[in-house]
Parts: sequence; structure tokens; C-alpha cells
Amino acid sequence: MRIGYNPLRQLAIWMVTLDKIAHLAEDCRFDSLGPAASVTPEKLSLLGEGTRHDVCASTYSPRETPLPGICHSFTQDGRCVSLFKTLYTNHCSHHCNYCTNATNCSHKAKTFSYTPEELASITLSLYRSNYIEGLFLSSGAGRNEDDIMEKMVETACQLRQKHGFRGYIHLKILPGASHAHIQEAMELADRVSINLEASTATHMSEMCATKNYENDILQRQRYIRDMSTAVNLPAGQTTQLVVGAGGESDEEIFKRIIYEYKEIGLRRAYYSAFCPQEGTHFERKEAQPQWREHRLYQMDWLYRVYHFQPCEIRRAFDENGFLQNNDPKMAIAREFMDSPVDPNVATSRELLRVPGIGPKSAQRIVALRQRQTILSKSELAAAGVRIKRAAPFLKINGWRDSTLEMWSD
Amino acid sequence: MRVPEDYHYYLSRHQDCNERLLARARKFTSKDLEISTDPDAMRLRKMVSAVMGEVHRMLAFVRLKPLGSQVLYGYLKPRHRIGEHVCEHFARRAPGIIAVLGNGSESWISLCREGRIMRDHGRGIAETLERLSSAFDCPANVPDAGNPDMGDLDVDDLWQVYYDSQYCPEKKNLGVFRQRMPRRDQDAAGLRLVQNKKEVTLEDFFSGKE
Repeated sequence: MRIGYNPLRQLAIWMVTLDKIAHLAEDCRFDSLGPAASVTPEKLSLLGEGTRHDVCASTYSPRETPLPGICHSFTQDGRCVSLFKTLYTNHCSHHCNYCTNATNCSHKAKTFSYTPEELASITLSLYRSNYIEGLFLSSGAGRNEDDIMEKMVETACQLRQKHGFRGYIHLKILPGASHAHIQEAMELADRVSINLEASTATHMSEMCATKNYENDILQRQRYIRDMSTAVNLPAGQTTQLVVGAGGESDEEIFKRIIYEYKEIGLRRAYYSAFCPQEGTHFERKEAQPQWREHRLYQMDWLYRVYHFQPCEIRRAFDENGFLQNNDPKMAIAREFMDSPVDPNVATSRELLRVPGIGPKSAQRIVALRQRQTILSKSELAAAGVRIKRAAPFLKINGWRDSTLEMWSD
Repeated sequence: MRVPEDYHYYLSRHQDCNERLLARARKFTSKDLEISTDPDAMRLRKMVSAVMGEVHRMLAFVRLKPLGSQVLYGYLKPRHRIGEHVCEHFARRAPGIIAVLGNGSESWISLCREGRIMRDHGRGIAETLERLSSAFDCPANVPDAGNPDMGDLDVDDLWQVYYDSQYCPEKKNLGVFRQRMPRRDQDAAGLRLVQNKKEVTLEDFFSGKE
């Protein structure tokens, strides 16, 4: 009996008996996978740990059927666990001063490596049980990055082609990877990324003696940009920086990020506050406060989502080029907003510049005032405005809130 | 949250929704709901977002186990009437495989094949699984049958080891953790039952007792 049509999924829905369903599914089976007895807890844990500081989530990815981003769990630090995030191998020939897998790290852990079969098998079984949306595969460079890159691509290839895997795949591009491997990776993955780690070549040379910033990293990003088509890589390319390891200022990071968004067409950037690891060359270097990471994300958000101009955002930096530990939008508003904004006449661009008003509440204010004049703070609160933050910058009904708190925190 | 065009569907799934409320909703478009500050519209928006939120968290938190190699089943006891919607999601995620979700008193069955969704609604999940296992002639009480051989690690162990490896102690923030994994939703998806599975029997799992 056909009972309807699900408007969301555009599929015919049939109400049938359980026995009929069982009959219809009779010839279907899960993929049977070979044994993977060499996957030990130690290996799983160590290679998993290697990506602890990598930030990622599965993002909405418009393949044939759009894949939503879902966080299947959260770690105790509140970060989303959406993907099986792991290294292919923790064997690495680079000398990155912040990294525990570097050859110059004195605390050498045992080295492990997966095989493409093992990774495909783990990914499929976690995916089937709904623990994850897909795979995030990074790696040490091994003896030779091309060999490892090939294995990473083969893993994705097995998942997609042998097992018909429709989940999410994020592949890291290793610095210096070949044009051909990057192209293959882009055909199979939803998203690829190559980590900038540093904001400039100079800072990179302080952090890592074996990577050429211009050639190994920026040039590969351009390869990815130039090979992007309407079909491959639905979730685009991203990058990540280790904040504070190379001693760079927030303004230097900002400059780099603007370049990345404008010239590379980056989908988004991730920031990871530097934290010294035992045995590494940087083990005595001071850890960066977590709030620095948070403020950089806010800065990034102002540019990407609120569409603030770089010249506006620049006003949030102090004379040394650093963000303070407070909301950059508030700092920018204090610099720029010399007269209060009247919500009844302001453009949505002006509204968006008021702290406590976001894109949605700006939209609501514009809709609201078409019907009535906004006369009170409670009407704004109903539109989703955070009154306490916004009030000092607003003029409602010719009346303006005390300006005192505008200048103190 | 963006209010979808067919938000009436989600509204109708709310535990407190009735005909009168749906009729009142007819005068609002999704756009109205999204931007209006009208108290009626705001109440509807809240209800829609409660249902969509629960759907989203169930898609995230429900864990599935294979029964034989044709069935994936999991625990679900949602507050809103979203059982079949969530079940359908899992059926689409694994085409050709029967998805069964449920609890002690009801269950939802869904299969996606050749562009069609087939579904049924049954009594307690234990009974449904019993019927399916006799249809397929496979034992019902072997929860991990059909799982790929992972050496000594079953999929839950695999997950636990991996999950523990992702934790950065220097970033510990339990407040955010609790906010993002509300206890109520963990219970609705049977997550803590799964986590405590070593101590509970399969019957407890089916009847929803801890």
C-alpha cells in the first residue's frame, strides 16, 4: 500500500508488512571484509592521537545525495567527533619542532602504519554502526611522501570503488605531494587540505627546517585550486595553522588568511593553539592560551560570515598586531561607531556592525520594522538581539542608553 | 536554525501538536516563522526547532548493531513522533539493509531499495527482531554477527579506543561537553545503554531499562 510521499526526500513511501520487507532484503548483504587482526588497541590509539590537534568536522557535502554534517559524539573538551580521524603512519622524515613524530623528537614512540585494507575495514564498521560520518586521513611523511600519499589515495579508492562507500572523506595532502596524487585525491575525497602551519616562510623556517613554504605548501594549494571543478571535491579545500609556534602575530596570520580566502579560494581555515609536547625541540616553549585560538576564530568569522572589510578587522589588533582577550567585534565597534544606530532606519550592514546583533537578528529587525516602528528594547530582544551588548550602540525612539559601559568592560 | 519550507511536517511530529495548532500554522510561511517576532510564530518556531533538534541528535547518537547480515538495529525512544523519520534516514544510509529502531513498546522498520522506501511499524523491538531473525533464519541473540573480523576488537571497543585517543586534556571543558551531549538525548538514543552494555543484558536493552 502506497501511503505517501515524503516531501523532504522525494521518494515514494510504501507501507508494507515486515515479512515483505524481509523478503525484499533477502539478496542483500553487508560487504564482507577480510580479517584485520593486526589492528591493535596500541596502534589505533597512537595513530589516533597523532591527529588530536587536527580540527575537522564533516561538513555539508553536496554529493548526489547531500550529506549533512553530523557530530556523533563530543570529546570531554567539547569538540565534535564526526570522523574517524587518524594518521596513516606516524613515521615521518620531517623536522618539525612542535611535532612528536618529527625525526628530531627525542621521545620517539613506536612507529606504526596501517594498510589501506585495515583503514577501509575500520572506517566501514564504524560508519555502519553510526559512530562516524566518514574518514579523515592524515599522515607522517614516511620515508617518502609520495609513497604515503599513494597509500592514502588507495585507501580512499578502496572505500569508494570497492565498497561503494558514500560517507565523507577528508584527505590531507602531504607537503610536497605530486600533482598526480593530488588530482587522484581530489576525485575521491569530499575535502582535501594541506596544512600551512605557519603564516609566512620565515616563521615556517623557525618551526620546521625541512619544509619549503612556497613550493611544498603554497604551490600545492594552487594545484588544488586550479584542478577544482564543479564535480570533484564538493567540500573544497581547507587549511590549518599552529598558532604561536613560530612566534607570529595575529595580524600576520590575518594577512595570510585573507590571501588564502581571496587567492586560493579556501573554504575555511582552522587554528590550533600551540601546546608544547614532551621531547620535541619546542618542549620548553610557552603554550599559547586557548583564548587566542577562540579570538582568531571570531576574527575569521567576522571576515567570512559577517563580511567585515579587512580594514575594519585590522582595527581590532593592538600596536604589536595581537588580538586582546575580548570580542574583536566589540573592539571594532568601539573604534568605528561614533554615533548610535537607530534600528528603525539603519541598513542591515550597519545593524550587523552592532555587537549583539547577528545576521539573523539583523534580518528580523528589518522585517519587524516594515510592520511597526521599533519602540522598545524588549521588541529587539524578541528579535534575538543581545540587549546588554547592543544597547550602548543603539538609539531607540530617540533615546540612547548610557554610554558609560561602552567604554568599560 | 533555518526553518525549512515544509516545516509543517516537523511541527506535526511535535509531541504537543494537534489539528488546531497545525491550522493556525497555515497562515505562516517558513520565512515568516524565521523572522517574525509575533508570539504565535515564535512559539511555532520553537516547536519546529525542538523537533528538528531531536531528529538531528538522534541521527547522531543512535548506534546500530547488525543482526545477521541484513539487519541493522538500534535503540530509540524519542520525545517527539520522529521514530519513522529517523529510521528512514538509516535505511537510506545503508540501501538494501533493513533498519530497525525501537524500544520496549514500539519499533520502526525501514528498507530503501530501488528508490523506494518501505516501512512498517511494530510492537516492541524484541518481537520485531525475533520475527526478522526467523525470516532470515539467523540467531537473534548474537548481536555482533556479521561484523567484520577486527582481531580481538569489536566495533564498540574500536570506537572506545579511538574516542579516548582524541581527547586533549589541556582543552578540557566539561561544560561544553554536557551542553552538546544532553543527557536527555543520550537516553533517548540509548547511548548510555550502549556504553554500559557490559553490565546490562540484551533484554534490558530492548525494554529500555538500565
